[in-house]
Order: sequence, then C-alpha cells, then structure tokens
Amino acid sequence: MEMWLRTWAILWKDILIEVRTKGTFNAMAFFAALILFIFSFAIGPDFELLRRIAAGLLWVGITFTGLLALARTYHSEELAGGLEALLLYPGEPRAIFLGKLIGNLMVLLVVEAILYPVAAVLFHMQLAGHVLPVAGIAVLGTFGFSVIGTFYSALTLHLRAREVMLPLLVLPLLVPVILGAVSATAALIDPSARGGVGGWVRLLIAFDVLYFVVCTWTFPVLLER
Amino acid sequence: MGQLGEASVSTGSSGAGTPALRLGGAGKRFARNWGLRDVDLEVGPGELVALTGPNGAGKTTLLKIVSALHRATTGTVEVLGCRLPAEENLVRERSTLLPPHGYVYEQLTGLENLRFARLMAGVKPTSETREQIDRALDRVGLLAAADERVGGYSSGMRKRLAIARLLLRPVELVLMDEPYASLDVAGIELVDEIVGELRAGGSTILLASHRWERAIREADRLVVMERGRITWMGSPGEWAGRPAGAGGA
Amino acid sequence: MSEPSVSPRLRGWHRILGLVALVTTVSGSVVALFLVPPDALQGQVERLLYVHVPAAWLAFLAFFVVFVMSVLYLIQRDPRWDMVAASSAEIGVLFTALTLALGSLWGKPTWGVWWTWDPRITTTAILLVIYVGYLAVRSFAEDPERRARWSAVVGIVGFADVPIVYLSVTWWRSLHQPPSSPMSMAPAFVWTLMLNVLAFTLVYWYLLLRRYRVAVAERELEDRAAEG
Repeated sequence: MEMWLRTWAILWKDILIEVRTKGTFNAMAFFAALILFIFSFAIGPDFELLRRIAAGLLWVGITFTGLLALARTYHSEELAGGLEALLLYPGEPRAIFLGKLIGNLMVLLVVEAILYPVAAVLFHMQLAGHVLPVAGIAVLGTFGFSVIGTFYSALTLHLRAREVMLPLLVLPLLVPVILGAVSATAALIDPSARGGVGGWVRLLIAFDVLYFVVCTWTFPVLLER
Repeated sequence: MGQLGEASVSTGSSGAGTPALRLGGAGKRFARNWGLRDVDLEVGPGELVALTGPNGAGKTTLLKIVSALHRATTGTVEVLGCRLPAEENLVRERSTLLPPHGYVYEQLTGLENLRFARLMAGVKPTSETREQIDRALDRVGLLAAADERVGGYSSGMRKRLAIARLLLRPVELVLMDEPYASLDVAGIELVDEIVGELRAGGSTILLASHRWERAIREADRLVVMERGRITWMGSPGEWAGRPAGAGGA
Repeated sequence: MSEPSVSPRLRGWHRILGLVALVTTVSGSVVALFLVPPDALQGQVERLLYVHVPAAWLAFLAFFVVFVMSVLYLIQRDPRWDMVAASSAEIGVLFTALTLALGSLWGKPTWGVWWTWDPRITTTAILLVIYVGYLAVRSFAEDPERRARWSAVVGIVGFADVPIVYLSVTWWRSLHQPPSSPMSMAPAFVWTLMLNVLAFTLVYWYLLLRRYRVAVAERELEDRAAEG
C-alpha cells in the first residue's frame, strides 16, 4: 500500500512540476511535428512512397522525441539537489521507478496523440477504421520504450557525456520495439504490406513484460551510492 | 510545545544497551580520492555528538553513510543495531537527515513539498496529516508563506522548510548537516530549541557544523575531522579550553 | 574488498594455454587455407568462412561471459568478476567487428553487396553497438564501484536483448525475402570449421587471461592513485 502512495507521490509531483513549467511540453510536441516535416522534405514529394513508409517515419519521430523526454526524467530531482531528494524517505525504491515510468509513459502518449494525426495528414495514412488497434500498438510500443528509457536515464544520470550515452544504450535495445510497432502498424493500415499483426503484437507484449520485470527488479542497483 | 506526534521516541529493537551507531574502520572512496578513511566511532543512544572540521573533512560523507544514503567502501557500519548496507531500508525508517540545502522542489509550494514528503514516507493524506503539516509550518514560521512556491523562498526559508519536514517524522536518530547554515538569529535559536526537544525525547543526534552554537556547546561529545579522518574526540569544553595553537591530536 | 592477484601457478597454465592456442591456430589456418578443397559454388572466397564463423561464435561467447560475470558481480560484489567481464567485453568487441568485416568481405563477391540485412549479421551489428555501449559506460565512469555496477547492469540487460533482436529481425526479414538456404557442408568442411572454432576459443581464453592480468595491474594503480 505504501508503495503505491510513493508511486503516486512521484507521479503527482512530476505532473505538477511539468504543468507549472510551461513551455517544455509544447516545445517537445512542436519538435516532434517538425521532425515529420523534415522527413517529408528529405524524402521528396513521392506521396505514394511516403504513405508506404509512414509508420516508420512516425516511429523515428517518436523515438527522437522520446529520447528528449526521457533525458528529463530526473530533471526536477537534479534541480532539487540530486536523487537523494527521493532517497531521504524510507520505503520501496522501486516505487521511484514505477512513478517515473508512468510519468514518462503519459508524456509520450500525449505527444503521440498529437503526432499520429499530424503524420496521418502529412503522409496520407489511412487510419480511419483502424484507430483503436493502431492506438493499442502505440501503447504497447511506448510502454517498452518507456521502461527501457526510464531505467537507463537513472543509470546515465551521473555518467559523463550522458546526452550521448542515453541514446547509445537505449536504441539497440529498442530495435525489437521499433520493428514490432512499425510492422504491426503498417500491416494494419497498408493493404499492400504483408505479415501478421498478431505475431508482432505478441512480440511487443513479450518484450514489455520481460523488460518490465527485469528493469523493475534491477532498479535498486542503480540507486546505490 | 514538544515534537509533533509522540513526546518521546521508542528505541525499537535496539534496546537500552545497543549503541545507536558503531563504525569500525569505515571508509568511503570516491572516483579520485577517499572522502572518509579509517573512521572508528561509537555513539550511545540518546547522545548528542557534534562533528566539526573544515570543508572536505568528511562530515557530510559520514552523515550520509550513517543515514544510509551512501554505502561505505570499507569497514563495518552498524546503525541502530542494523547492519549496513544490508538493512538500509530499516535504517532509513528509523533515522532522518537534515541536509544543508533542502532537497526541496522549487516549482512546488512549501505546503506541497511537505505533502510530497508525507506521501513518500507512506503516510496517507488525511485531515489529521494536513493539520500536522500546518503545525510544523507554524513552528518554523512558514505558515504564511506555505502557499508560495519555494522558488521564491530565501535560503533561510528553505532551511526552515527542511526543518519542518524533519519535525513531521519523529525518529530515533537525527542527523543534521550544517543546520545553522542560511539561518538568522531566530532560526539558530529555533534549531537549538529543536535539538533540545529531540534530546529530551530520547533521540540520538549527530550534528555537523562549522558554527559554534549552543547545541555544540552542550553536546555530549565533540568529534573533529580533517581530510576524511577523525583527528580529535572529547568534550566541547576540552576543545574550547585548548591552548591557542594546539591542533588535532 | 578482496585484493585481486594472480598466482604463479596460474601463470604457468597460462603459458601452456598460449602454446596450445598457437599450435591449434596455425594448424587450423594451414588446413583452412591449403588443405581443404575450395567450395564448388563459391570458390576460394568460401575460405573466409573458416574465420568468419568462429569469430561470430566468439563474439557471442564473449558476451555470454560478460553476462555471467555481470550477474556474479551484482550478487557477490567481488571486483574480480567485474574485471573478467570488462576483459571479455574488450575481446568480444574485437571479434564482433572482425565478424562484421569478414561478413562484408564475403558478401561482396558472393551476393554483390557489402551489406545484407541477413538476420544473423544484423543481430551481430546490434551486438556490436551494445558492446560499445558497455565499454563507453566503463570509460565514462571514474569511480570503480559505480563503473562495475553500471556496466554489470548494461551487460545483463543488453544480453537479454540479443535473442529478442534476433527473433524480431528474422521475422522482419522473412516478410521481405525467403530465408537464405542453409549451406550444406561436406564433412571435410565441417571438420576444418570445428578445428578453427576450437583454435579461436583457445585464443579467446588466452587473451582473456592476459587482459585480466593487465586489469589487475590497472586496478592496483587506480587504488594507489586514490590514496589520501
């Protein structure tokens, strides 16, 4: 019971701070949309091509924006003097991980709620009729992303060159997530794409469960000082 | 006008004879140097021990190890009968640290910071806890500023907020790192008062300070540190009475 | 914290191991280069496989060792496990890079391209990045205890990812092209391959021990430098 109070405490605190720090979230959302625009320019006006690779472009955009969001996971603690601000209180250390994880997940999902429609418009994606399944896949993929990212952002917090280290450590691990999310989404909305959605969804779920367990279990090791 | 909650603190499982704190050859290594080296220290329950020494002497490191925020690299550490680092959580439950710079969130109000602290300590928010928070804020003189963001607080006010947070959680072992820093005369008196109350309630106190205030003068023991080691130990009176020019042993 | 050291008896075995590794490698190379007949389809290029496959095997073996040592370190906190893990990672990254380079060299004349998205080679490339991440964490963390702890975590989490990556990439590729037919190998080829795999494995153990001994010395230097 006390663990959930702690998880809620961190979530509540981070939401409050985020809401009061106007501008950060907006900047992130604009950044994400901007990436999608740049893709359009980089790839050129072949709209048929853009439509076919839309899911991939979307997830690259999500990945880059996600890395930005993840880097700020412990930002409020850093301003307050360090992770010790959280360690001062007795209780289950994994609650910190869970609280931060849910926070990151929420931020990313909100950004995606904006990005998907933008991508649908820019890349002529046919999302109509598939909104729920596509959203479901987005949630599964984002969950895996958030687990790995929240975990490693704690590890790289005190590491030199951490702006580079976080992506370096996180991206290779995310290959299955990106593959799964993109392939499943493409299979759903693109009639010309092959491959079963079910298999990819199972992969995403397995990934999410595995890493949620591994990261939650191992998290206290990262908090030792 | 005692501490909020119980007037005195139970000593839990440590019993009357167990030292509150026992360090044997404790050391802490950082990347390029040792912050603490070969520290042997035993503190009995209910004692008030003052730590002093120049910057970098290791006072903060020592306090952090005792409060289970840092792990010692060498030696044995036993706090309130619990072996560290194995029983970290138990130690954190029964001790608390007052840090030199609050560990408070600037974008939250004073009140919200304390509510956060209570939630993190596993305390359900009820009207009673809300009252306790108000009383703590009143005690440190922050009730009027409770709904202002900490970003607008002076450093003295932030320190008072941290003190209020300390008052909300009665524990057996209280560690204070430069409690007088940033405070005005009234604040210093407040700290001395609270130290007195904590002692009366049976808590063991370890207090690190540059400044020679009442709590230090009245401490049971004074420990002088330099470059990570303990260089002198005795009563404050002895230290004050040292002939001019005499350094640590 | 126990003081790591290397006993003289270990050094004796080490020299013998080195000798045996050398002999095996030389004989393996001789057989692979001269004694075994060239492949009917691929010609002389196929000889590259006698190095490429063992290197790949070692890349994964080395990482498995990193994984095991990382787990042991987190449980026992003995710095020796950490040093073995780091040594294995360094050797592993070399073999991984070698695998990729040889794969490319083999791929160009065989399939006409420097890079194919074959699941195995793709997974190996990702393994390389994970290794590099592991070594980067080590080089950016100055405190020895943190360095050991963080890289142990990276070693464990990274290792768990490799099979998943392989699975997902295989799936992904199977959507776009039929799986590459497994090469049938005549007994002569298999024996040569086994000989070279053995040779590489011995070389790995030899290098691991060597690197470990250097790591012990480095550690001692670090400890002395931190005095005060």
